[in-house]
Amino acid sequence: MDTLARIKDLAAKEFSIDPKGLDPAAPLDTFGIDSLSFIEFMFKIEEEFGVSVSDEDLRSIKTLADLEHHVAAALAAAGKA
Amino acid sequence: MGARRVAITGAGVISPLGNSLAEFHRALAEGRSGIRRLPEEITQGSGVQVGAMVDWNPVPMFTEAEAINIDRVGQFAIAAATQALGASGLDLNSARRERIGVHWGTGMGGAHTLEASFQRLYGSRDWRARPLTVVMAMNNAAGSNVALRHGLRGPFANYSTACSSSAMALGEAMRTIAAGRADAMIAGGSEALLTPGTLAAWFALRTLAPADPADPAASCKPFDKRRSGLVLGEGAAAFVLEDESHARARGAHIHGYLTGYGNSCDATHMSRPDRDGQVRAMQEALAESAREPGDIGYINAHGTATMVGDTVEADAVRAVFGEPDGDGAVRVSSTKSLHGHLLGGAGALEFAAALLALEKGIAPPTAYLEQPDPACRVRHVPMKSEKIALPRAVMSNSFAFGGSNVVLIAERA
Repeated sequence: MDTLARIKDLAAKEFSIDPKGLDPAAPLDTFGIDSLSFIEFMFKIEEEFGVSVSDEDLRSIKTLADLEHHVAAALAAAGKA
Repeated sequence: MGARRVAITGAGVISPLGNSLAEFHRALAEGRSGIRRLPEEITQGSGVQVGAMVDWNPVPMFTEAEAINIDRVGQFAIAAATQALGASGLDLNSARRERIGVHWGTGMGGAHTLEASFQRLYGSRDWRARPLTVVMAMNNAAGSNVALRHGLRGPFANYSTACSSSAMALGEAMRTIAAGRADAMIAGGSEALLTPGTLAAWFALRTLAPADPADPAASCKPFDKRRSGLVLGEGAAAFVLEDESHARARGAHIHGYLTGYGNSCDATHMSRPDRDGQVRAMQEALAESAREPGDIGYINAHGTATMVGDTVEADAVRAVFGEPDGDGAVRVSSTKSLHGHLLGGAGALEFAAALLALEKGIAPPTAYLEQPDPACRVRHVPMKSEKIALPRAVMSNSFAFGGSNVVLIAERA
């Protein structure tokens, strides 16, 4: 499964959303994801991929596509991709 | 008390004896115990053998995602409160929700969350804590979850006075309504602390009963010569308390009235109970409800089955109610023999037990009381429930570590 599919899968589970309805380009708050639940979600993303996303990068993540970009970069930096 | 009478219009129960008021009452009437040997993954090295667990599956009440993000103590709270609201028939869509509040009680709060976090930190040496740890573990999370779930924007409070927490929540909620500060209140409490670390801490107090060798279900024997301590339980109970005129205006069924609330502190010892503190709380509750001891037909005792606690409480009951002579003597029982000790949730659950006597004239028993201790002389309801004349009023006692004593009186509708 590619990175985006795994992220969508986790998001679908965390927020009880149908993964098919998750548009990677849509702002996260359109799915009802508030800042607290996003931070909890990021914790699970970091666990799942074994990466760490900095606070600065975290603030720039507005969509699932942004998230994929940062996770992919972190994986590449760690030599995991 | 002010001019406003406080009606009880709904109740919800999540307990080791079943997950509804009806199931809970049936088990009490039949004297069925919910105390069992605890599974190894819960007891681990704690030394604890028995407990009273809730048969709990968060689904379908909660989505999988919600269940992961709300501590067990909060899940119990929401479930009990939702039942109580449903039973009350209160239509929240048309109600003024800023006039409906929540008063909740819990001793420990999110014990499971806290322990899982410590397990990760100290056990796995993984210092990345879950971001939701704080809001899941904080003591007021259970009550706040109830308010959040139902959009109840009125007065909120969370009481944490160990074993009297939820009884205090009920009493203070009654006063909130009586003072005109709310039309209705969800009041109750929950506890969910059957975790290895919490069990180890309780075990160290040397106050827990070991498993009865013949029958683990019979491990808690309040007022019996053979009593050997308390059995920890978990669960929740919630009530809809309502300004009588508000309840009548919508034609609600009224289970009874909460009319008396006594609250005192021993200020003598952190854990050893004090007769006089208990007497003051019982007398204050009687005075507030303007009832005589003779009006009380049933007392749900605190009765934890510790050597000292049961004796002191029996002394206190005799000091207020006199010697238990004749058939009219007030019936006293400790239903902890069946559902264990819910600690912060105990007062609310046992208030629900007292309603069985108030509404149906069934005094629930002190199960397994085969050899009453002469030092605990009261008119017991030993072994089996007893049919009694419908009482004018009933009392529920909750006495806590820290010296807090809370006594509630409910009267017939």
